[in-house]
Amino acid sequence: MNNSNKSNFFFRILHEIRRVIYIILDEYRIILKDSGLVVIFFGATLLYPLLYPSIYRNETIRDMPIAVIDESQSVRSRDLVRRLDATPHLSVAYRLNNLEEAKDPFYKQKIHGVVHIPKDYSQKIHRNEQATVSFYCDMSSFMYYRTMMLGANLSIVEAGKDIKIERMNAAGITGKSAEISAAPFHYDKKILFNEPMGFASFLLPVVLVVVIHQTLFFGITMLTGTLREEKLVTIDPQMRQKGKFFPTIIGKALCYFSMYIVICSYALLAVPRIFQLPHLGDPLDIIRFFTPFLLAVIFFSMLISVFIRNRETSMVVFPFFSLVLLFLSGFSWPQSNMPWLWKTFGIIFPSTFGIQGYLKLNSMGAGLSQVQFEYIALWIQAAVYFIATIIAYRLQIRITENKIKS
Amino acid sequence: MSNSTIQQIKNVAGREWKRMLTHPVHLLSSIGAMLFCYLFFLTLMSEGLPRQLPIGIVDNDNSSMSRTLERNINASPQVEIVGKYASFTEARKDMQRGHIYAIIDIAPGFQSDLLANRQPSISFYVNDVYLVAGSLSYKDLTYISELMTGFILQQSLEAKGVTGKETLMPILQPIAMDTHQIGNPYTNYSVYLSNVLLPGVLQMLIIMFTIYAVGVEMKQNTTHEWLLTGNNAILSALTGKVLPHTVLFTLLGLLGLFLLYGVMRFPMNGSIAWMSLAMFIFVMAHQAIGIFIIGLLQRLRDSISIGMFYSLLSVSFAGFTFPIEAMPRGVQIFSWFFPIRYYFKIYVNEALNGADIRYSLIYFAGMLIFLLLPFLVYPRLRNTILQHETGSAIKNSRCNEQLQ
Repeated sequence: MNNSNKSNFFFRILHEIRRVIYIILDEYRIILKDSGLVVIFFGATLLYPLLYPSIYRNETIRDMPIAVIDESQSVRSRDLVRRLDATPHLSVAYRLNNLEEAKDPFYKQKIHGVVHIPKDYSQKIHRNEQATVSFYCDMSSFMYYRTMMLGANLSIVEAGKDIKIERMNAAGITGKSAEISAAPFHYDKKILFNEPMGFASFLLPVVLVVVIHQTLFFGITMLTGTLREEKLVTIDPQMRQKGKFFPTIIGKALCYFSMYIVICSYALLAVPRIFQLPHLGDPLDIIRFFTPFLLAVIFFSMLISVFIRNRETSMVVFPFFSLVLLFLSGFSWPQSNMPWLWKTFGIIFPSTFGIQGYLKLNSMGAGLSQVQFEYIALWIQAAVYFIATIIAYRLQIRITENKIKS
Repeated sequence: MSNSTIQQIKNVAGREWKRMLTHPVHLLSSIGAMLFCYLFFLTLMSEGLPRQLPIGIVDNDNSSMSRTLERNINASPQVEIVGKYASFTEARKDMQRGHIYAIIDIAPGFQSDLLANRQPSISFYVNDVYLVAGSLSYKDLTYISELMTGFILQQSLEAKGVTGKETLMPILQPIAMDTHQIGNPYTNYSVYLSNVLLPGVLQMLIIMFTIYAVGVEMKQNTTHEWLLTGNNAILSALTGKVLPHTVLFTLLGLLGLFLLYGVMRFPMNGSIAWMSLAMFIFVMAHQAIGIFIIGLLQRLRDSISIGMFYSLLSVSFAGFTFPIEAMPRGVQIFSWFFPIRYYFKIYVNEALNGADIRYSLIYFAGMLIFLLLPFLVYPRLRNTILQHETGSAIKNSRCNEQLQ
């Protein structure tokens, strides 16, 4: 009696496992037969991680064209112009006579900054007064402004250094002590983690995680929508056999998970190495971190897909959300300065924690213990969305059955 | 245009309104998505410039000098010391956790070295993984250090009997910088982003909805009915179809301009009328692109994938975050194929720089060229629609036969 019970139980487990395996394979079959799904799951995940590093390959602006108006026409002013041109940031493209002349190239966006050295520049320096140089910056892009300020600061400080020492000598501070008084202490900037201060190193890790998140979301919702349209069922045909949906949920999730472990290894581990983007993290830590991330995204997408009726719906309605997810992660506008409403809203989406965690692991070389907060948050999300998916599926089936009965 | 054409367009447009209202999911979600994004992006960065950025300090000197430096840093509105660490390793770990954007490291003996004229050094460690927060906190730390340097120099000058601002300043800072940030004097970060990001969201919605509106007729085999409403004139049928969307998206776009320049008071140094015209053409240009894609690819599912790909790239090729000139040469060419690039240029000229309109005319022309796109695929689209029509007509007649 006992024995047969045990073997019954054993056979039931075996049966369930076989069902799950059947569903995994079936799901793969559906995906591979659908060109649209292949494009999302394999095309987009392959292409996007190659595309963006190619666009942003140069990381930063070099030799940004500017115009110089040198009304002083002196040795001192020519020295400043030469210094501006010599910086890696700026390049003097126009030498003009007045501000009016600078307007045309500026409005044509041929130059992104104007430097105006006034007539009395040299005289003021000779008279021991403070000279002033005006800088006009193109504010259409943060990068233009930053480049202009970097170049301007560098040349002004360099040009001023000698004058400073001369004047201190005159004030009675001479020799080595003049030098020390001019710079009583040094300060040096050490950039951690994003050595070239580059745009690609800053943007790409974030884009890679969003690509994983969004392709999974669009793929899963599109697949469900298609099944709904074609088979005219609310959940999908396999589940209607016995009304059992637990193995279906597990099977589907395992199918996507197995697929995305490979995709993640490519996008999150291989791509940063191919394009020499920051990759300080331990690959094993990154894979471990992305386990709850993938599960959370999968169950989140399966939950949303309950509401999707058509193949195209999610892709027509939600593309803009990729941008929202990008900014919710706090990679650009810092998380510390977000209104609490949006910080709270961000908790809903796995990408928020996924991006932060990946930046810390991959770009800053943190260990798994340092991203514990994100790691645990993702496991909680995975659990919550898993349970919610089960409830949603169960409700769906009940509604369908009631419809059939009545 | 003859009266009958206008009537045809009217009929099709009326039918499209009805379709949009009977299945309001798409109508509501497009309006909802745009309103959500206006709310999201304009409130997310409402501070303008991030303030009180959290940074950490490792003060191993613990002298009156190092504490003065600390106080000066805390007095600045841009950064705030939120953590004091016993060692650099500890601070670095906290930086890796994302708690602080910068570390100030003061080595032991800072004050005594300073007083003994041994030129000690301070290190600033900046986390540029968060480019914006990193750059801004570094800029502020540099500024404070310059002030400190000046302060110390001033003391030694005063000891030599040099006093008074007029005599001190030329020595402390022989050349002063007078910076003019054209159009955005407060370096408001939201001005950089929202002005182009929001039209970026709008173009995504326009392209996807245009593709869907045309493609779904083919998918559901309703082209016959659609054409019949337009009295079998395909051009009128197409115009009537997209016209309600033009109205809807133009209104949404103009609402955006109102929010940006009216409510948020973002810089507007030119004419809002030109910007509104630019927005109107912007909407139509993207509708034209949508028609082009569905006309070229014919199938709704493929068109939607391509439409999404294109509209996401649009955001990169506007060139407002990373300038086009800094991209590799071969890539730069692609920026020509995105109307948002021309819109961005018009915005810079009109709103930011207040340039004469003649500088923007070329960009208006650039956007208008996109309106020719539907004509390129017109024959192809016509054939498909007609084929679909005969196909569905045959199907219908067969059904009828079977029923009989």
